[in-house]
Amino acid sequence: MPESSIIKLDNVWKIYQLGEMQLPILKGISLDINRGAFVVILGPSGSGKSTMLNMVGCLDLPTKGQIFLDNQDIAKMSEDELAQVRGRKIGFIFQQFNLLHNLSALENVMIPMVFQGKSEKERTERAKSLLISLGLEDRMNHKPTELSGGEQQRIAIARALSNDPEIIVADEPTGNLDSGTGKKIMEILINLHKNEGKTIIVVTHDPTIANYSSQVVHIKDGQLVANHFAEEKVLWSNNK
Amino acid sequence: MLKEYFKIAVKNLRTRQLRSWLTILGIVIGVFLIMSLLSLSQGLKATVLNQLRAVGTDIVMIIPGNISDIMTTMMGGVELTEADLNTIKNTEGVQAVVPNVFKGELMNYQDKTKTVILAGMDIRNYLDIYENDIGMKIAAGRWSVAGKREVVVGSLVPTDVFPGLKINTKATIKGQQFDIVGILKSRGSKQDDSMIGVDLSIYQNITGERKGAPEAIAKISAGYNVDQVAKSIKTNLEQNAKRRAAGQQGESSYSVLTSAAVGSIVGGIMGIIQVVVFAFGSIAVLVGGIGIMNTMYTSVRERTKEIGILKAVGAKNSTIVMIFLIESGIIGLIGGLGGMIPGLGLAKLIQAIGQAHPVFYIEASITPGIILFGLLFSIGVGCLSGFFPARSAAKLKPVDALRYE
Repeated sequence: MPESSIIKLDNVWKIYQLGEMQLPILKGISLDINRGAFVVILGPSGSGKSTMLNMVGCLDLPTKGQIFLDNQDIAKMSEDELAQVRGRKIGFIFQQFNLLHNLSALENVMIPMVFQGKSEKERTERAKSLLISLGLEDRMNHKPTELSGGEQQRIAIARALSNDPEIIVADEPTGNLDSGTGKKIMEILINLHKNEGKTIIVVTHDPTIANYSSQVVHIKDGQLVANHFAEEKVLWSNNK
Repeated sequence: MLKEYFKIAVKNLRTRQLRSWLTILGIVIGVFLIMSLLSLSQGLKATVLNQLRAVGTDIVMIIPGNISDIMTTMMGGVELTEADLNTIKNTEGVQAVVPNVFKGELMNYQDKTKTVILAGMDIRNYLDIYENDIGMKIAAGRWSVAGKREVVVGSLVPTDVFPGLKINTKATIKGQQFDIVGILKSRGSKQDDSMIGVDLSIYQNITGERKGAPEAIAKISAGYNVDQVAKSIKTNLEQNAKRRAAGQQGESSYSVLTSAAVGSIVGGIMGIIQVVVFAFGSIAVLVGGIGIMNTMYTSVRERTKEIGILKAVGAKNSTIVMIFLIESGIIGLIGGLGGMIPGLGLAKLIQAIGQAHPVFYIEASITPGIILFGLLFSIGVGCLSGFFPARSAAKLKPVDALRYE
């Protein structure tokens, strides 16, 4: 494994058992993601890209094969260790935003810090500064249901950043937004990559997002069909 | 951190206010039942035992017949004979024997006639035993003088039997006039407090009953073991009866009860009442607990996605369990408080009614122990009912929970 690799998938299989039948979703995927990379995972719906992202984000474990996060096999971690990794190293952004509806914007951003045992003062300061930096200073005490999709997704981004994770994992982050708002959200992610050096992994079926990335991974029927780096991207686009 | 979980739990409960309150109501009813009944039965036990304590420990009660068959004895009119009373008196360790004689008689007081329990009291010889060992004390007036047609009346006579009855007035029993000279202090039972006490010699004159007694009380001399003397009284009585009845069929039996024995019998009965009361109350709380469990399971199902989100942002299984347990614990606690306050209030109200109309003497016993027990019990039921739903919430796989709609 190269020195700079933060995530490594080694012949990863995910097989669901449906009664007597076995349904393989991922069929032996191997992939290296370097520290500080901006990776876009493309593929049609049902291709297994979200399943793969869930495992990269330690929300799920492979049926076969290994996933290394900072050289650690996630299958060998206890549930509590996985929770710890999710809380500290990974920030999630979901298509559905997945905010807690009975909490205000500020409280939603503070929640991950509660689980890391940060003090109330630290939590409030960090959450406020994140919300301000994302242009939500007027929305802090609003409940998610009172906010637009774009605002909700920005709160979700602030929440993902609250514990200053190394990796941001985004599953169709613009899927529920209009194109203009989606573009703004992508710009936030690009800035995080450029300015803060975060490793960003985005799953999408929107090929235009691929233009922002340094690495494009194409998945089809649970298999890796292409893995391009920035230099080759044009070529890949032409071949499509 | 616990404080934060507490905040989250409270928020969750408030989000589902109606359901939370209904669940709490389930616990309220159960705790209300337990608290009111428990404090009343505890108070009843204390009252009865206190009454018994007024009777000296060196006193035994002798009743003809078997204690387990007491109704038959009373209905059958079996009495202690003069010979029996002498046997008791002659038993070693017996200081005095006081026959307990009573009969229903008509009494007329200011144009009203009622049946009263007339009790013959050997005031000449045993006033000291009546006062100090049996607990009869004068509340107003004085004791009647032996040989004179004077009566003392129980505390309920001036209130219930002949309302407005006063001392230094006259009453007629069996055509003879009596001076009412004293009112006794309450001894705690309706029967004792409704009686009319008259000197034994007068009692014998007007009732015509000169021999024997339905029951007797013996005072044990100092330095003797009460239980042993009680045993020898019983043995002597039975042996004498056998001798007298030689050749005849049947066998007489006697019950000799020490106040400790009576106390333990009563204590035992009250204990059983309390267990029964607690058992019924517990069933109500159990139903409330099942309500909590139901609510929490529904809540886990509804919040599956939320649990997934919390896990995705770093919540450990123990954190999820904790949040759910706090929620169900709060339901239990509020339910416990909500049931305890009106429950103990009701008990106090019943006590107040009992005091205003002294028909039944009942005291609500409200101790810190009962309050603490009630609170811990309801929190415990809450947490216990919340435990399984909480565990099932924690066991959810984050990826499955997030996918749940």
